[in-house]
Amino acid sequence: MVVLSAARWLRSRLSERFWRVQEVLKYARHFRGRKNRCYKLAVRSVRRAFVRSTKARREKKRFLRALWITRIEAASLEHGLKYPAFISNLVKTQVELNRKVLADLAIYEPKTFKSLAALAQRRRQEGFLAALGDGKEPEGIFSRIVHHH
Amino acid sequence: RYVRQLQRLQLLFSPTAADARGARQFVEEAAQDFARQHPDVVLYVSPHSGPGPAPVLRAEYLNGTVREELIASKTSEEIVQLATKMANQSGLDIIRIRKPFHTDNPSVQGQWHPLTNKPSILTVQGPRLQPQ
Repeated sequence: MVVLSAARWLRSRLSERFWRVQEVLKYARHFRGRKNRCYKLAVRSVRRAFVRSTKARREKKRFLRALWITRIEAASLEHGLKYPAFISNLVKTQVELNRKVLADLAIYEPKTFKSLAALAQRRRQEGFLAALGDGKEPEGIFSRIVHHH
Repeated sequence: RYVRQLQRLQLLFSPTAADARGARQFVEEAAQDFARQHPDVVLYVSPHSGPGPAPVLRAEYLNGTVREELIASKTSEEIVQLATKMANQSGLDIIRIRKPFHTDNPSVQGQWHPLTNKPSILTVQGPRLQPQ
């Protein structure tokens, strides 16, 4: 018997069924109990795992958005602002940063986030003055809107 | 400049096996054109006589990865497409990339820690002032 290499000899010894079974079992290796060893149980578990992972892709977006909102809320509370006030005033000043970027800034760039919180606070004060004052005072500086045409 | 990541392509097939017909046609017709179009890839054609393993196209990349693709019962055009596909790849593993971005310096202003927004009297240890 001429053995060209160990891999080729191994391949010829095992049956085709072994490889077909291994294809499924390789996705079940990190499961708990007999489903990571026995093919009959593993087939069902692997199929359910795949179905769950496809469905979870839609949930992941919701989950991550909720995580970012929690983080932004915590960071803005440190600077004395609540989350709805922070976001609404940021939108009114035409700062179009999404929650993902705001959460990353709050973690890695705390000074930038502090200045964003101060901007939102200032815009909030100007909004109050404009609503309550209703006099002949000029409009606030940060309440001006830039029109892009 | 662009450096092609594919180092060499080895075409291992048997000149008598039936499923290596596409590989033999590729060698007769399209191998030379392919080699001329990709001058920085070395193409090795190694026929092994007698019944052996299935015909395979082995690609070796600059970072050491070796990728083998079966070419049994494939037409010459399909082998050409496969070879160009492997020539345009890099040798990185074909797995799911977790994030499409990566930085070595994620924080410029200093990462947040629980004492960033607290008054500095909590952290600063100045020289001990003598009671006056």
